[in-house]
Amino acid sequence: MDIPGLPGLPGLNLGAQAIEALNLPPVPSSRQQDLAANTEYRFEVGFSRSLTIKLVSGTAEYFGTELAPSQSYTFQGTKGAVFTWQGCRLEISGDPESEYVAEETQMMGCLNAHFAFENLRDAAVRSEELGPRVLVVGPENAGKTSLVKTLTAYATKMGRQPIVVNLDPKQGMLSVPGSFTAAAFSSILDVQEGWGTSPISGPSPIPVKMPLVYHYGLKDPEETKLFKPLVTRMALDVTSRLEYDKASKQTGFIIDTPGAISQGKGGVYENIEHIISEFSVNVVITIGSERLYSDLSRKYSSRAGEEAIRVVRLEKSGGCVDRSDDYMQALRQAQIKAYFFGHTAEYALAPHSQAADYDDLNIFRAVDSSTDPNHSDVDAHGIFSNPRSIYEKVTPFPDMVGKLLAITTALATDPEERIRDSNVRGYMWVADVDEVKKRVKVLCPQPGMVVPNALILGSWPESVAGLV
Amino acid sequence: MSSSSDEVAADFKDALQDLKLNSRPEISNLTIIAKENTEYAQAISQELENHIRTTRPEWKLPALYVLDSIVKNVGTPYTVYLGRNLYRTFMDAYLVIGESTRKAMEGLLRTWKQPVPDSMDPRPVFPPEVTGDIENALNKFRSAIQSTPAARPLHVLPPRPATNTTWRSTPTPPQNGNRYTAPQDPRARQQFPPTPQYGSYQSPVPGQNTYSTPQPLPSPMSSNDLDDLKAEVGKLISNTQQAFAYNPADTALQTKLNALLQLKKVLDTQTLPPQQLEAVRMQVRNLAPPPTPVPTQTPVPNSSSLPNFVPPVSFQPPMIHSPHQNTNSPFPPPSSAPVNLAQLLANARPPAPPVTAMSPAPPMPAAPAMPNLADFLRAVPPPAQSSSTPAVTPFFPPSFPVRPAVSTPIQTPAISTPAPATAPTANLAELIAQFSKPPTAPPAQPAQIPPPQFTPQIPTGAPTQGNPEWLLNALKGLPFLATPSGSTPLASEPMTRQSSAPTNGVGEIELTTASLKQPRFHLISRLYEAYPNMCSTCGRRFESTPQGKEKKARHMDWHFKVKDPDAAKRGIHRSWYISEKEWLEYREMDETSPDQANNGASGSATAVKKQAQDRYVPVPQDPAEAQVPCPICQEKFKNVWLPEGNEFVWMDALQVGGRIYHATCYEEYSKGAGIAMPSTPDSVLGKRKAEAGTPASGKKARAY
Repeated sequence: MDIPGLPGLPGLNLGAQAIEALNLPPVPSSRQQDLAANTEYRFEVGFSRSLTIKLVSGTAEYFGTELAPSQSYTFQGTKGAVFTWQGCRLEISGDPESEYVAEETQMMGCLNAHFAFENLRDAAVRSEELGPRVLVVGPENAGKTSLVKTLTAYATKMGRQPIVVNLDPKQGMLSVPGSFTAAAFSSILDVQEGWGTSPISGPSPIPVKMPLVYHYGLKDPEETKLFKPLVTRMALDVTSRLEYDKASKQTGFIIDTPGAISQGKGGVYENIEHIISEFSVNVVITIGSERLYSDLSRKYSSRAGEEAIRVVRLEKSGGCVDRSDDYMQALRQAQIKAYFFGHTAEYALAPHSQAADYDDLNIFRAVDSSTDPNHSDVDAHGIFSNPRSIYEKVTPFPDMVGKLLAITTALATDPEERIRDSNVRGYMWVADVDEVKKRVKVLCPQPGMVVPNALILGSWPESVAGLV
Repeated sequence: MSSSSDEVAADFKDALQDLKLNSRPEISNLTIIAKENTEYAQAISQELENHIRTTRPEWKLPALYVLDSIVKNVGTPYTVYLGRNLYRTFMDAYLVIGESTRKAMEGLLRTWKQPVPDSMDPRPVFPPEVTGDIENALNKFRSAIQSTPAARPLHVLPPRPATNTTWRSTPTPPQNGNRYTAPQDPRARQQFPPTPQYGSYQSPVPGQNTYSTPQPLPSPMSSNDLDDLKAEVGKLISNTQQAFAYNPADTALQTKLNALLQLKKVLDTQTLPPQQLEAVRMQVRNLAPPPTPVPTQTPVPNSSSLPNFVPPVSFQPPMIHSPHQNTNSPFPPPSSAPVNLAQLLANARPPAPPVTAMSPAPPMPAAPAMPNLADFLRAVPPPAQSSSTPAVTPFFPPSFPVRPAVSTPIQTPAISTPAPATAPTANLAELIAQFSKPPTAPPAQPAQIPPPQFTPQIPTGAPTQGNPEWLLNALKGLPFLATPSGSTPLASEPMTRQSSAPTNGVGEIELTTASLKQPRFHLISRLYEAYPNMCSTCGRRFESTPQGKEKKARHMDWHFKVKDPDAAKRGIHRSWYISEKEWLEYREMDETSPDQANNGASGSATAVKKQAQDRYVPVPQDPAEAQVPCPICQEKFKNVWLPEGNEFVWMDALQVGGRIYHATCYEEYSKGAGIAMPSTPDSVLGKRKAEAGTPASGKKARAY
């Protein structure tokens, strides 16, 4: 949720930017902020501003990841909070949109949940069973991702290796928005970048994380045409991995979800139920919605004969702010930029622009259910029996400019389910469509020929203008 | 790693031994040593404690100033390590030094109750629990002197007015002399009389204490004791195993064996408080086949080694109490007891054979006339809440709300000190149940015997002594039987034990909405103090164990490796995500795990082969090229993530003339053809530079 963008035109004037970034912290405005134990410093900083926080003394953590003493952490386009269990002094410089110290936090619930999971993990080590399979649900802006991140950070801190699954297309985890990812975390999370970074061809200041990426490409998970099969696929991958990866097996996994699936229809939460059954979830954390908790606990408390599914409720933190559509869009753009250009100037990436003929690109677009006359049923089984309704092949068109193309591992000739179920190797960004020359300019993460693989064009995320 | 720890500790010790005056430069020098070697904080703390304990009384104060300087200037982790035994360190020294020095020590103690001067940290130097214990003990010590005016002339301490405001918080003054044993920290096993080496301590006149050799050392025998018990359990196990071998169908034997094995594990991984050990021992006795040939120690004190500990007639040492007497058992009226230090100590130490006479057998046979420590401790009011549950219980949560005290929860008060109320017949099940008992009772008032509030929670009904079932049941309830993977607790490393041995503070959390709301500040230390060794670059924490240190060393190496000032110039880029199959087979490679690629660099017979297999090239960036198989065997290359290079490579690969071969294939081929093998590139980085001019980049025809 905190992926600041990289301003300017990276790739050309990297050096200049790096110098600017170094000179950035305005010394005069730096100030000291003392935090008492169990309080947190909450801040919002815009995408064009930056805020630098340095831990002077004591201990502090940023969504569970501890700040190293005397290191400067710079935030851009972030709504975040530095929490301290033991009291600390921060040195803050920069220009936040808002900032305050909150004395009431929900960290204790998070800590308790973590150690409750630790108990289950200890039990899993003993019995060589699966560790806790945790699902976090709740409405938008309830703090789901923050909770998942904190739980993940605590688990890795104690030497565990949780797998985190992100099923929220609104913001990416280790990838662009619109993707579903799963990754095992064995090293610390990146305070500035949120989760860390997927592999790059050079060194990375924080150990890289290795995500498995699927492309969803739609904004709303309630368009179940793709959501459920991808959940099923992801569940298959994660459970297979757990079978052989001992460290992750004992730790279990944590699933982050989009707020939309927590709305439900008349007390029925089709997608939540689907996730629970596919992933064999055994702990559901609801956050920020009494009704959701009540509905889910009613449904899952009385399941006789099966493994108990525990539904618990955590309070929404007072620090959760409604993130406006504008902010979310800017956040997504920042994530996309970070995919191609890297997160910081110091570790800037060099993507490659290249051109391709129309014929070289095998672009598939998900069929919009609202415009598809054949599609009347949102049942997942309907999809399997009616595969023609998943994708349509499209020739490049001008409105594609600014969109992402997901490079799948499937070939263009593969069946549609195969394309849908194949994971993503990377993304291209459409820079320009020349209808006269029938050529498309794309931005690729790395040099090389345009591959014959099937590319998926999603309606989500929104177009991003002016990446190059 | 441990050798360097020993070295640092030895250096520190040498420097300490030269410290005979309150010399500022020397003290700051020692502080600097401590500060620069925080990774060896445990060893240094031990040295310091040892030194304070063993050095001559007049040199103790400078050493205490070193302690003071370290905790104030360096802070954690020293506060944690030194705080653990601070009570003993302080009180042992306090009892043997002169009056003026005592004043200085009291001054020190006062500053420890306050935050470090000029620090923004609002917490006191040592947590209030630690200083509180000492404070209480000092109060008792003083009121002892006060309430026995007859003895006053014998004391080096002048009388203190009762109205002294410093002590106004003192609870009801203790009513009998026995309580004055409090200065002996019950956290230590104190069943041994002074060893003969303290024979010079002949004079019963306490006034001379000041200049005599130090008070008896805090018993170094506690570990021996534990070892004895362990040996006993081990023996029992082997006996039972033998019996079981003859009688494999005997489920009772099997149960017993199981119980014993688990008990052994507990003993190996936990430090049980003495009285619990005692009870365990008694239980083990009961489990043992009837007349085990355990040499019974004679309970008669060896008077030759204890000349001055023969109590006055008017004073009855606690040894007269049988274990069945309850806590209200009469103690001599205080007025008749001329209290002096020697007696305090005598009281604290049930006579037992001198150290040198210790046989491997446990010194505490269950003879009724012989007080066992549990019994004894029961009679002695704990100086404070935490005293009866020693270091093993760092996670026993204080009753909440306790606010920032959480910063060093290791010293938080123990739960309701059930031990004093434990009947002598308490079995291990009950004792162990204490571990899993949720913190309910408020901390006991200092100098008050906690009311009996102990109820066994293990559903064993009324356990029968000697029946292994209860033991097994009791052990089942123990969360600390589960040690998280990868970290084997070492008895010698308390920090490990804390981190890997969840105690009841964790076990009680249920996955219910209500339970998750309860504040449990004691858990925080498991995220912080349990991993005291922090990377200053990224904030990752490591345990203070040898493994933790190794991990940190590798972690720091990794940081160094990835610092590449030329990275931006080279034009790094995002790698492709791995495929589903690769992800399923991928195992996270922690930068702290041993570097496999560096293994096998040496070796004789397999060296050549390994060299070939250790060769690698980065996976070609061109996807088409990345699909090209080895021209010799026609098999595809496998992408492997190379953590130190931070990129995907093909292992066992070799680039010759723009084509990539399996190194082993090429080796075979080149041997046949008589071509020399190309030299192995030094590093990936070097390789990448070399590759810049290869035809691979020429294929990007469409790039603009």
